[in-house]
Parts: sequence; C-alpha cells; structure tokens
Amino acid sequence: MRIVVAHKWAADPQEAVVGADGAVDWSRARPAVSEYDAVAIAVGRQLADASGAELVGLSVGGPTAAAPLAAKAALARGLDSALIVADPALAEADSAVTAQVLAAAVTELGQVGLVLTGDCSVDRGARLTPAVLAGWLDWVCLAEVSAVRWDPTGLSLERESDGGWQSLTLSPPAVLALAAGAVYPPVPGMKDVLAAARKPIRQLDLGQLGLELIRAPLLLAAAPAPAPDRRGVVIDAMDPALAAAELVARLSHDGLTWEGRP
Amino acid sequence: MTWINYVIATGRPVEGLVERATAVGGGPVWGLAVGPAPVAQRLAQSGVERVVWFETAADVPAEALARGLAAQVTARPGLVWAGRTAPERVLLGAAAAALRAPVLTDAVDLWLEDDRLVARQAALAGRLWLTLAFDRPVAILLEGGPAQADQPTRASVEIVAGPALTHPLRQVDWRPRGGAPVDLKAARRVVAVGRGLKAALDLGLIEALAEALGAEVACSRPLAEGLGWLPKDRYVGVSGQQVSPQLYCAVGLSGQAQHLAGARTADLIVAINSDPDAPVMAAADYILCGDLYQLVPALTEALS
Ligand SMILES: Cc1cc2nc3c(=O)[nH]c(=O)nc-3n(C[C@H](O)[C@H](O)[C@H](O)COP(=O)(O)OP(=O)(O)OC[C@H]3O[C@@H](n4cnc5c(N)ncnc54)[C@H](O)[C@@H]3O)c2cc1C
Repeated sequence: MRIVVAHKWAADPQEAVVGADGAVDWSRARPAVSEYDAVAIAVGRQLADASGAELVGLSVGGPTAAAPLAAKAALARGLDSALIVADPALAEADSAVTAQVLAAAVTELGQVGLVLTGDCSVDRGARLTPAVLAGWLDWVCLAEVSAVRWDPTGLSLERESDGGWQSLTLSPPAVLALAAGAVYPPVPGMKDVLAAARKPIRQLDLGQLGLELIRAPLLLAAAPAPAPDRRGVVIDAMDPALAAAELVARLSHDGLTWEGRP
Repeated sequence: MTWINYVIATGRPVEGLVERATAVGGGPVWGLAVGPAPVAQRLAQSGVERVVWFETAADVPAEALARGLAAQVTARPGLVWAGRTAPERVLLGAAAAALRAPVLTDAVDLWLEDDRLVARQAALAGRLWLTLAFDRPVAILLEGGPAQADQPTRASVEIVAGPALTHPLRQVDWRPRGGAPVDLKAARRVVAVGRGLKAALDLGLIEALAEALGAEVACSRPLAEGLGWLPKDRYVGVSGQQVSPQLYCAVGLSGQAQHLAGARTADLIVAINSDPDAPVMAAADYILCGDLYQLVPALTEALS
C-alpha cells in the first residue's frame, strides 16, 4: 500500500510585496515546504512505519515545484519518494484545480490507501484542497485531524470538534487533513538531507494526465487591501500603573464603560 | 437557466448564509441538511424554499454523507454555499468536485453582475483584494452564522430525503472539553493572547483582565493548536474566527497578517507587546510597549 502526502512548495505571503496597483512581487519571498505540510509528512512517516506502507510525496504546482531543491526539502522530512506535477498552467492554481490534478496523480500512482495533507497552504490558505480532492476521488475526508492510529481493521482518528474531543474510525481509502498542531515536525538533520539526495524523484507530465482543467474565475481587478485607519497612539509604559491609568482614561473618553459584562 | 442555490447546514447556524444566497444568488435557495432531525427542522425555518435532508445516526459524522450530497447537486446543478467548519468544508469540497466547479473562498463582498457572480476576495493573508467573476456553478465558502437582519419566525417548508450514499465513518466517542462554547463573532470586547504568555497557568492573568473589561478571551493560533491551552473556537485569524468587536486587546501576540486578518474590522485595537517592532504595533490604536506580566495586572487593577 502507499500513503501519499500532498505538499506544496510555496512562499509566505507576508514576504510578498503588494504594489499600489495590486501587482504582487514575489522576488524577495523564498519558497519552502509549506508550513503545515511538514506536519502531514511527519504524521505520514509514523503511519508508514506502523503499516509498512511506502510514503510518497506528491507536489503539484508551477515550474518551481520541480526545482531539485523543492523535492529534496520535502524528501529530507521523511518521504520515501517524490512525485511531481509541475507545469506553467499550474503556477496560479487554486484549490479547485490543485485538487483536480492531485486526484488524477493519485489515481495514476495507484495502490494509494491514504492521502494526508496539512491544514492549509501558506500562500492561499483556503483550507479546501483536501475536501475537493476527496470529492474527485470519491473517498471519505476528514479535516482538523489531530491524531491517526493505524491498525489492520482500519484507522482510528482523534480531533477537536464542537468543543469536545471526538474519536472516530474509518476504513481506507481516505483523505485526511491534519490539524496545524497535530505534531511538532522535527527539523531535518544533516543525515536526512544526505539521505534525501538518494531518494527517487519522478515527474508526471500534466498533459499525460489528460485533464480538462477547471476554469479559473476571471480576474477583473486587484488592489492592496485598504489599510484600516488606526491611531497609533503610543502610551509610555515605563510605569505600568501610570500606563494602565492612561489607557483606561483614553478608552473611557472613547465611550467604553466597565460596569460588568456588556 | 435557473440555478439553484444550495446552502449546506450541519448544525451550526446558517441563517446568515441563507440571507446572502437569497440576496445575491439569483435563483431559488434550497437547504441541504446533513445531520439528525433538528438540523433539518431548523433549516426548514431559515428562509429556504425546501430542504433536502441527509439523515445521520447519532454516531455518524456529517462527512459520511458527502457522497449523497454530491449526487444531489449533480442531479440539479447550482451554486453551493457552506460555512467554514471542518464538516462544512468537506461537504462543500465534495459538491465542488461533483459539479466540476471553481471555488470561492475568503470573499469580503459578493454580488451578481451581468448574470455572473462577482466577488471581492481577500488574498495573500488579507493583504490583497482581488475582484473575480465566476461563471456558475460555483462552490462558495463563506462565514455562515446567524441572521444579520431580525428575521420573523417562519413557517416550516417541505423536507425531502436526499440520496443515502454514505462513506464508512463512525464516531466511537465524544468527550466534552469543558468550558462553555463561545461565539466570538458576537463579542463586543475581546482580549486575545499569544505566545508571549509563558505558561498555561498564566491564563489566569488574561482571564482577570477579560473579566474586568467585560470581554471574551481569544488567542492566536499556536495557543489553540499545538499548545492546546485554549479551545480551537477561540483563535482569531484567517483560519480561525473573524471578530468585529468594539475593543480588541492583543496581548503578547505578534500580529502576523494571518492573525490580524481576523480582527481587521475591530473598532479599536490595543497592543501590549514587549517588541516595539512587532507587526501588531503598527496596526493598533493604542500601543503599550512592555512586559505583559506587569502591564496586564496593572490594567486589571486600573479597571476595578
Ligand atoms: C497558512 C497559515 C494560516 C495561519 N492562520 C492563522 C490564524 O488564523 N490565526 C493566527 O493567530 N495565526 C495563524 N497563523 C500563524 C501566524 O502566522 C503566526 O505564526 C501566529 O499568529 C503567531 O502567534 P503569536 O503571535 O502568538 O506568536 P509569536 O509570533 O511568537 O508572538 C509572540 C509575541 O509575544 C511577544 N512577547 C513575548 N514575551 C512577551 C512579554 N513578556 N510581554 C509582552 N509581549 C511579549 C513577542 O514580542 C511576540 O511579538 C497561520 C499561519 C499559516 C502559515
């Protein structure tokens, strides 16, 4: 059996520069294995070890997804092998398109019992890709999973839901989106980086998958988000009591009152 | 062609979504209720024209019905609307794939123009606004929530059974976490705390301040997920709650774009942080640069 971890090579949007005309400059941002995908890879490693499955990383994206650095960074986190679908047509792919291509690649790979993903990608953060992917595969999907246990009869899961802890069982195949804090992914060491250099990397051609990609919405306009008008009043905090008194006075002046709960 | 607007409900209030779908969907609004009977009954009184009900036993999570829901929307395509909780997202994803539909997330505004759905989307962790036009069908992920307008009590509409196609999924146990569930969206005042807090025990300091302010306690994502010091429904941000209080007091949190995107519409923001260069300082109305362990008790004291 194979366990697939879907992971994205992406940059943090906070490092992008948004121009006054809404143009985005990514040149100063450095892509990496998207923050929460590292969680999925770490959980995948544990499950693969427990079940004897092969752990395959699957990354879909623009040409940068195929950079040797991208595959190695993910492999160093504990994958057994990497599968990449990189194409200029996928550079701006949203959840709908990414999920469609991921599903086709999972099918093409074959013998996959489980797909793991992070909670969301760092660049888009839509939290919808695993759900749409499961829809394409017609597999069961659960999000915000905080723990997964493998046993021969199926999977046992835990998650926080509706103000409580839920325990669940399901039979594979399944798509699971891990909670952001499911594990603290270990930082790869020198040994992991060296081992990554010897692991197999395979590229799948988007054309070979024979997909008619979901049409993207039409972009009519782009602009920087309006910056909220904040006062930026600095209150001297050298003396905490004086600072507190000043803040309270200012808030009262703004019309706030403190008689019990509003 | 008339497009149906489907609104997915799994138990959380969706009256607000029904309102939006009615206002901008440009077609009849149907409810897709996934869960036990009360979910369908509530939806039937929310303003929808009819309800398609996917009944689940008490030990079957809503996600198990994704297959039936997908079959329903393909039989009669349309726009699908759902809120942001985990089961709502899974059901919406199943519908989107079944319809081969594009998805719309993080919309700050949406309207119908020349028979297309146009949306302003907050991209790049809320830093960029895109205006996008969608052909229908489309899957829309939008904050659900209770009704915006004061709604009259409505007569219940017809409830019909949806296709009973399920995935093998069972809940075997549920343990309450303790503490009442919170609706941060409705809170007039919020004290949000971040990793500047050194230990879970120190939450007492924050709770005392919140009490004195008449505020709810909220937090940054790492405190709820990872550290687990507070329940998940208390973290604010792009992936968490979106709040709109009169006062947002950010204590020991750096204010990364992903966090502040959830408090963008607060009337007043107070930042308490020891780092003058923390992003939250540039986004605040009142800035107190110092140690929260001194400033928070002093503030609590000054309020009582
Ligand atoms: C895709 C994605 C989605 C995300 N979504 C969210 C989200 O929805 N919500 C969210 O909150 N985060 C989200 N994050 C995480 C976010 O990027 C930040 O990492 C997180 O908000 C930081 O939390 P923090 O401010 O508590 O911690 P830190 O960034 O570590 O900040 C701690 C702050 O405490 C201050 N401090 C330390 N000691 C003291 C002291 N004694 N007194 C006063 N101040 C002190 C420090 O100066 C610092 O500014 C997301 C991240 C990603 C990648």
